[in-house]
Amino acid sequence: MDSTVRYFESIWIEPPMGRILYRLGYKKTKTKLDEHQREQIEKLIWEGVSHCHPKGAFLILPITDRTKDSVTIGKHLVESKSLTELLKNSEAVALMASTIGDEIIHAIEDEIKKENSVKAVIFDSTASQMADKTVAWVMDFINKSLQKEAKALTSMRFSPGYGDLDLKYQKIFFEELKLEKLGISLTETYMMTPEKSVTAICGVENRVRREDE
Amino acid sequence: MDKAAFYKLLKEKIVILDGATGTELQKRGMPKGACPEQWILENPHAILETQKAYKEAGADIVYAPTFGANRWKLKSFGLEDKVEEINIKLVQLSREAVGSDTLIAGNLSPTGEFIKPFGERAFEEAVDIYKEQVQALVDGGVDLFVIETMIDIQETRAALLAVKESTDLPVMVSMTFGEDEKTLTGTDPITAAITLEALGADAIGCNCSTGPKDMIPILKKIKSVAGVPVFVKPNAGLPVMKDGELFYDLGAEEFANFADEFVEIGINLIGGCCGTTPEYISFLKEKTKAITPKLWRESKICALTSVRKTVVMGENMPLVIVGERINPTGKKMLQQELLEGKLSEVRRLALEQQQKGASILDVNVGMPGIDEKKVMVDVVENLSTLSELPLCIDSSSSDVIEAALRIYPGRALINSISGEEKKLKKLLPIAAKYGAMFIALPLDDKEVPSTAEGRIKIIEKILEEAKKVGYGTQDMVVDGLVMTVSSDQKASLETLKVIEYAAKQLKTSSILGLSNISFGLPERQWLNSAFLMMAMAKGLNMAIANPSSENLMELKMAGDVLIGRDANCKNYIDYFAQSKPTSQSTNKQPKEENTSTKIYEAVLKGEKEDIEAYIQQALDEGMKPFSIVDELLIPAINKVGELYDKKEYFLPQLILSAEAMKTGFNYLEPLLLKEDSGRKKTKIIIATVKGDIHDIGKNIVGLMLKNYGFEVIDLGKDVPKEEILKQVKEQNVPIVGLSALMTTTMGEMGVVIDAAKKEGLKTKFMVGGAVVTKEFANEIGANGYAEDAIEAVRLAQTLEQ
Repeated sequence: MDSTVRYFESIWIEPPMGRILYRLGYKKTKTKLDEHQREQIEKLIWEGVSHCHPKGAFLILPITDRTKDSVTIGKHLVESKSLTELLKNSEAVALMASTIGDEIIHAIEDEIKKENSVKAVIFDSTASQMADKTVAWVMDFINKSLQKEAKALTSMRFSPGYGDLDLKYQKIFFEELKLEKLGISLTETYMMTPEKSVTAICGVENRVRREDE
Repeated sequence: MDKAAFYKLLKEKIVILDGATGTELQKRGMPKGACPEQWILENPHAILETQKAYKEAGADIVYAPTFGANRWKLKSFGLEDKVEEINIKLVQLSREAVGSDTLIAGNLSPTGEFIKPFGERAFEEAVDIYKEQVQALVDGGVDLFVIETMIDIQETRAALLAVKESTDLPVMVSMTFGEDEKTLTGTDPITAAITLEALGADAIGCNCSTGPKDMIPILKKIKSVAGVPVFVKPNAGLPVMKDGELFYDLGAEEFANFADEFVEIGINLIGGCCGTTPEYISFLKEKTKAITPKLWRESKICALTSVRKTVVMGENMPLVIVGERINPTGKKMLQQELLEGKLSEVRRLALEQQQKGASILDVNVGMPGIDEKKVMVDVVENLSTLSELPLCIDSSSSDVIEAALRIYPGRALINSISGEEKKLKKLLPIAAKYGAMFIALPLDDKEVPSTAEGRIKIIEKILEEAKKVGYGTQDMVVDGLVMTVSSDQKASLETLKVIEYAAKQLKTSSILGLSNISFGLPERQWLNSAFLMMAMAKGLNMAIANPSSENLMELKMAGDVLIGRDANCKNYIDYFAQSKPTSQSTNKQPKEENTSTKIYEAVLKGEKEDIEAYIQQALDEGMKPFSIVDELLIPAINKVGELYDKKEYFLPQLILSAEAMKTGFNYLEPLLLKEDSGRKKTKIIIATVKGDIHDIGKNIVGLMLKNYGFEVIDLGKDVPKEEILKQVKEQNVPIVGLSALMTTTMGEMGVVIDAAKKEGLKTKFMVGGAVVTKEFANEIGANGYAEDAIEAVRLAQTLEQ
């Protein structure tokens, strides 16, 4: 795969109904929900989905140097023991970003203003799960593309702000992926707007033959 | 070579395609990262040897090595201005290698860019990029085209249109499906096959990604719908890395053994992709040389597609509901949004109809003051990645229809083509070019016939014209033309005759815009329902309707069973299995309850609409306001809390109950104040700390606290400590809730708490936020930590005591 940023302007994400309900506390074997309530809640989830605009971007960059506690990705030195450990078998990384846009954020804010609590929490849960699924979709896309080269992404992904990967490394994503093209911006305190935007990094590893293959 | 000669060849023998080119070139010295096209031109011996070897192995068709020879791909090597020269020279090299008795296919492949609606490049840009390459390949002398290794249906459509608009040479189209039997952008083999065949592919297939074994189920699916020959080019198994090199573990003989199964399925062309060599092709040739190929079915099926879904219509298939709601007529909000270029309402209506059981979405954006073409294109692009349902393009303008069909990444339905001479002549070729199905509307320049005979005459004329541009009966949907029964009582019977004629005589699908029948009459649903049942019995298999009408959807389910269109009653059972209340049962009378029970139950079930009336009834019956609060509202909300703790209720139910409680409490509040001015709401300040700009979570906590009777003072986001402390002092607030989302800002919560302590304030602090933990809360001296909005309410209730 070449080192060009790829942008997905509009990604189709099947709403993860189970996860959205689960995030709201729904337990399949315990929660008692009559059909009328279920219908109302599902209707609101779908309405939330209609406000989501999943987009994504990714870039494969080589690891140019590494020490015990740091890796250099392209020209960027990243000091993080946990990321260095994650990338121990990788010669390259995938920088990824995704967002579901700001329409859903405004919709949630509107519902909060109108004191429609149910709608607000359902939209919020829908937005969070759609955002998670969007970054998972981008990972899946890269993984399937890499298959041809007998490569795969590390199953784990890291994001700035997790563990010892400092939030300041958000800057790398913005510089390399030009995230303003997806409508994402970064504040001085390294927060992304719109909320529910995600950046993530994975290693690219060779797909080695397993014993059971 | 023309299409007839191509098909003649396929009827004579199993046609053998070549094997991998890239790996053969690498064996002959092509370095990793090189531009293959340029390297071949600098090292022509490599391709000459490779393709000669494939010819000698038995290949009937070799692919010109032009896989990446499009402007966008060549640009990454600085060769974008040499598209013509490179393509022509590469075809000439292929010709030199295989001579004139082996066919050469001009190879078009992914551009490396993503096309709208999925990607950022305009569809027309992609068509032009491919056209440039197609023209050069034609000039170079290719015999036919192959579009291969495609991952996105829209880019594939762009390539196919580029070929069809440039030349009459046959074109084979092959997509790459993964182990999940989908392309990278989510199209399944059936949907791909229907879409591409409709757009004019002369053969359809799959290549790359997997080995022959995994391709068998994919090929079976393609064969089940294809009305053109099917071809296959598998990899030599799945690749793995061995000593730094790609390695495919399926040997040549083992690979070729799959030929038997391919032929059995009815595959007409077989070759190899990554990892295969002339040896593989030689074994394939040997295996297939004595076999007489199976012929392919030469008719299309009656089906529509989106990017991800196929909807098949037919005599024994369930009634298809075409959702009618995306139409601005009579919808002020939708009109306003469309005029402003907004699509929120369109998107909401699309998903609502999908959820309610529509199989197709009708899209009509025609209204005064609108640029219909632009808005239609925007809506079609938007819905293509939002909803999985195929679209029905509904417009009276042929320009609008053409613009929509061109960029729609599936097989659409046109609503509609009438017998009006001008329209017929203009629209039919457009529809045929893009392979769309169309609704035949039985009216012409002279009249809107009131009799079935008049309508049938026009339908026959439309069909006759349609056949001239390559259509068959399976591509047409007859509109029965519904006229209102209030002005002509025979109108319904005439329409039913047309439906019966379509089903029995023409063997086409038919459709009705159902609700017209009852226009001007009261209780319209009865007429609509009765008419639907009668029409279904005559063979109707599509209806334009509002799927939100439960009555209609329930009747459709029942009708499908009774007419034998629902095998084993499966859809019917599934529809009603989830203890779905019927429209009848939802109207059941509530059982008699006393007023106290009604109030208690209203909170328990979260029914805020009725609670005020019940409370007034209780007050009228002499109940004291405090008794209503203490004996009904509070016990009910406590019960809700218990149910929530046991997970029998989840968050939305809890909130609904809290809202009902709040509505009841607010109704009583003036009376409570009169009775006892001592009871006051506890004040609580909530704020997202300085540096932090996201506050959805904090706002939801605020709403919940209000529902539970707190007076919430929301200071917003990015609030400095000075402002928080100032408000605490001025308003004498006992509890403050602080929120922070990020590791970089959570420290500010400690700063606020420290400052409050230094000033000797007795205010209690509760904290929360995505990265905040209980330990962190303890560390910074907070009085409590809440993981979510409910915990925040409970914590606040504890802190206020």
